[in-house]
Amino acid sequence: MLYLCIEILTAIKRNNVQMHATTFRNLGNIMPGQWWQSLHRTMLRGVLGKTFRLVGYTIQYGCIAHCAFEYVGGVVMCSGPSMEPTIQNSDVVFAENLSRHFYGIQRGDIVIAKSPSDPKSNICKRVIGLEGDKILTNSPSDFFKSHSYVPTGHVWLEGDNLQNSTDSRYYGPIPYGLIRGRIFFKIWPLSDFGFLRDSPNGHRFSDD
Amino acid sequence: MAQSKGWVRRYFKAFCKGFFVAVPVAVTFLDRVACVARVEGASMQPSLNPGGSQSSDVVLLNHWKVRNFEVQRGDIVSLVSTTANKTDPSSCPDDAYIIVKEDRQNRSPKNPEQKIIKRVIALEGDIVKTMGHKNRYVKVPRGHIWVEGDHHGHSFDSNSFGPVSLGLLHAHATHILWPPERWQKLESVLPPERLLVQSEAE
Repeated sequence: MLYLCIEILTAIKRNNVQMHATTFRNLGNIMPGQWWQSLHRTMLRGVLGKTFRLVGYTIQYGCIAHCAFEYVGGVVMCSGPSMEPTIQNSDVVFAENLSRHFYGIQRGDIVIAKSPSDPKSNICKRVIGLEGDKILTNSPSDFFKSHSYVPTGHVWLEGDNLQNSTDSRYYGPIPYGLIRGRIFFKIWPLSDFGFLRDSPNGHRFSDD
Repeated sequence: MAQSKGWVRRYFKAFCKGFFVAVPVAVTFLDRVACVARVEGASMQPSLNPGGSQSSDVVLLNHWKVRNFEVQRGDIVSLVSTTANKTDPSSCPDDAYIIVKEDRQNRSPKNPEQKIIKRVIALEGDIVKTMGHKNRYVKVPRGHIWVEGDHHGHSFDSNSFGPVSLGLLHAHATHILWPPERWQKLESVLPPERLLVQSEAE
């Protein structure tokens, strides 16, 4: 942001200097009556140039920001109780999107995904199974164990807080294409600064 | 000597500056506004690729139109493929998919980033009469759409994999750009035999 301001300031300064130069050069060979007109024209040109330059810089930095957030990663604030105790409510974490593009998502990673029922909201869950994995789908109270296999191109997501999480046990496996990024580093609160912990529900992972 | 060095340096600087402006702007434009893609396969016949395998249409994909995930019944949309083996030629030989990133597609045919192109038949809350799905009637859940290819029986669509989440929506195909004699706007029409059993009362 600071860099942006500096860029704009230098641009404006350069523009001003140029404007004065043209004004003084024109003074010599034009009629006295046209002097003010010429000055107005150059000033108008300066203002227009400034506006265009500002728009250009806005577009440029907006595009750079889009590329960074889309392909590299960014800072995300998580809310909701479903990932406790790994991520508490309103923690600030760092997410990277590179491993999604290179298909490097593994079991145990915490990912941000678009919610399958509402594409405008995001969910934050842990990957329990990749395609082809056998997943335990029964609730703890069930006597019989029930399993299901994750279909091709899908992942199985669960929150760390199994009692209070709406996840794949509720809406089934979600397509890989919904995954936005992988969370791996916590920034805030400072007492918890560092890489994220492993899942407290290790028994949920498939054995193979 | 020193002057030539200065020239090289200045050109290098200008090149770098242009490069760092042009690449993000181009990427953002292609991601957010519109891009073009080539359609392969026969599942959208006769709307797309009417000539079979020897012709392949190039379509304009409008990303800006679907930025709020708003689609109508009858629109032709492109989606991120939900299952990787969809692109496996043995699973469905006639399926229509689009090639956005050519080199990558050729490198791995089982790419989950593959996009498919289909027509929207039903939106969330609609009850649709399926053709070959495990259930005869399906109510499309919240945040999902029902998509089908125009070429019934030769298309790998919602009749095989069920309703698709709106989050996988990629773009809205609005025009055919190539070949030139087929230049046209893609109309949003619902096939008459695919009328809904019941649409959601709003």
